Amino acid sequence: MTNGKRYFDTALTGAAAVAVVLSTIYGALAQSAAPSDPTDAGKAVFKRANCFGCHKWHGNGGGGYGGEALSLRKTELTREQIMETVGCGRPGTGMPFFTRGAYDTVKCHDMNRQDAGDHMPPEANTFLRPNDIEAVADYVIAHIKGKGEPNYTECVAFFGDTSRVCDVYKKAEAQPTAGSTGGGGKAN
Amino acid sequence: MKRFTRHGLLGQASVLVLLGAAIGLASVPLARAADEVTQDRLLNVDKEPGNWLHHHKNYSATRFSNLKDINKDNVKNLKVAWTMHLAGVEGGGIWTHGGLEGTPIVENGFMYVTDGWGSVYKIDAHGGKGELLWKMDPKTDHDWAGAVACCGVDNRGVALWGDLVISHTLDGRLVATNKQTGQVAWQRQVADPNKGEVLTGAPLIVKNMAITGVAGAEYGIRGWVAATDLTTQKEVWRTHTIPGKGEPGHETWKDANNAAASGGGSTWVTGSYDPATDTIIWGIGNPGPDWDNQYRPGDNLYTDSSLALDASTGKIKWHYQHTPNDPYDYDSVAENVLVDVPAPNGSTLKLALEADRNGFAYAIDRTTGKFIWGLPFVKKVTWTKGLDQETGKPIEYDANKQVQTYITAVTPSRENKVADICPGNMGGKNWPPTAYNPDLKLWYIPVIESCNRITLEESVPEKLKAREFWTGGGPSQPFKITGSVTAIDVTSGKIAGKFETPFPNLGGVLATPDLVFSGQPSGEVMALDAKTLEKKWEFNTGGGVNAPPMTFMVDGKQYVAILVGLGGAWDKWFIDATPELKRIQPGSMLYVFAL
Repeated sequence: MTNGKRYFDTALTGAAAVAVVLSTIYGALAQSAAPSDPTDAGKAVFKRANCFGCHKWHGNGGGGYGGEALSLRKTELTREQIMETVGCGRPGTGMPFFTRGAYDTVKCHDMNRQDAGDHMPPEANTFLRPNDIEAVADYVIAHIKGKGEPNYTECVAFFGDTSRVCDVYKKAEAQPTAGSTGGGGKAN
Repeated sequence: MKRFTRHGLLGQASVLVLLGAAIGLASVPLARAADEVTQDRLLNVDKEPGNWLHHHKNYSATRFSNLKDINKDNVKNLKVAWTMHLAGVEGGGIWTHGGLEGTPIVENGFMYVTDGWGSVYKIDAHGGKGELLWKMDPKTDHDWAGAVACCGVDNRGVALWGDLVISHTLDGRLVATNKQTGQVAWQRQVADPNKGEVLTGAPLIVKNMAITGVAGAEYGIRGWVAATDLTTQKEVWRTHTIPGKGEPGHETWKDANNAAASGGGSTWVTGSYDPATDTIIWGIGNPGPDWDNQYRPGDNLYTDSSLALDASTGKIKWHYQHTPNDPYDYDSVAENVLVDVPAPNGSTLKLALEADRNGFAYAIDRTTGKFIWGLPFVKKVTWTKGLDQETGKPIEYDANKQVQTYITAVTPSRENKVADICPGNMGGKNWPPTAYNPDLKLWYIPVIESCNRITLEESVPEKLKAREFWTGGGPSQPFKITGSVTAIDVTSGKIAGKFETPFPNLGGVLATPDLVFSGQPSGEVMALDAKTLEKKWEFNTGGGVNAPPMTFMVDGKQYVAILVGLGGAWDKWFIDATPELKRIQPGSMLYVFAL
């Protein structure tokens, strides 16, 4: 079984490498006109792994029906600590682990499943390869950690400009004194 | 029935239709006129038993059909007649995929359904098969709406009026689509996602008006119910569910934070209508922030209430509040079912029934808004010892206190930040609709038998931001959650039976004379004996049932239809309470059954 699994992983790595090469070429071609951001691959992981489902596009997280996702803007974690958190999750919280075999074949916080017990973090819906985890950590460091309030430019960089999802920041920036919450009233 | 037969014949004998159209006979205009939905038809749906014209079947919201060709003796032979794949599974905003929560509408053999992103499908159900005639894609702005949809990419269906199909979009629009062509006739922005407002419910049509309810109490909205004139396309009235300054009820917001301005009170489940008094009865959602009730001392009207509105003006006639100063997210958006039952003294009780997130079922006098009876319909309630027999308020409720703590040891507060509550914050009973059998006087509740853990986070005004969660904490799921269909005898106000299920009921219920239909998020659609709740039939759809069953007749044959596609809040936020459901794949599929 061990051999079989190792072989499987190797095959996956090969496939992933081809995919990365292909997507890099495609990305380079598609964005030849615009200056490419070296952390675009990490942004893609941030979306594909559904990090934004809890931490939101801006990384501020916040209370919600899933509980409190920590703010990546205010985080003091280093690149290595972010990578460890993504790979192993956060025991005792809803932050899932993204490394295949974490707490089994891959040690996390010096614990296996039995050690973690009730604090075992949930398994993510998508497993990430080490290079994906590096990429998403680089993206968080470059674009999210240490940033202030989210703004229109950052929002459009994440979503593109085909949706009105960022309009609320445009308005806030145009009218910095206007309160933008609550109030109700006619919408049209 | 005559109308129905006429159209059925026309649909089958298409040659005749073509002939008639070619020669210019009156039959085609007549057929069209028969398809015009009028207030008279909406008031008298019993005259069209094969159709399902209202979201909740009728204005009383009973979801009872008297079709009985499918009954407890032959339901074991029920089989798939046809299926149709729908679209709308793609994600957007904070959501990885959409789901199906809609109730199909059927008129004269034509079915209208929606997918999670609000596309409307018209399907010809004649001839024992389903043929897609058109699809109207409203091109919903996925990220704009999906980023502020607390509880899924959902749309619960359409309504019919004149020659129009009336629907909502998650990004806040009311859309009128030509029933014949599938072309958008007009649309109007009713809700504003920039304020955290989205639309998931089906419209209620009353007297040439579309009544719209809004979602967003987790995003700091101030809720409302709005009426749009379907001729002029203008707003007739908009009643806020949180009273403004100077309005009655505003004094129940006693804080210094102006909490009322973002006080929640959303209205995302379609209400009911009592034509005898021209009254709309609508369920009102939770206050915001959901769990930090010390931020908003006072009873917080009209959150967690049933609200009676004058249909013509939107003026509030009465309210009945279930959980004052709610610290649990026990909203009352559920439908109010309007039923008349004999009273012990020989008179008739005119009731509004509501099964609340807080675990109690209520019967209110729908003329006066006074409490008649209430009882727990879940197996476990820990937040209160019960209801006051006179007022129906939780026994621990103290009108002299600004902040209610109910049973303090299990209530989340700033002093007790981690609290386990039963029912959990999803209920009790959530949006999935109940059904009422008027012959048996039994009311069937789709139940989430649950507890969960609330972790409170103190709210401060600076945290309130447009399009950001405003919940004052959040739930987690250390406990396994199951479900049931629970029947209540409305004449006695007592539980008549409970059919327990391994998973919570996330779809709702349909009642026919001797059967109850329902489903499970693990995939099963089932029929229960209406009296004993014994299971008589089951079929596994292979998807997750997250929508209510309905029934209709075409070509003289009865069908049962249900949308299948697990989405909504459960899939994202509550799945850890039902780990087996993690294997259920996203999907978007219509199932239609027949003997």
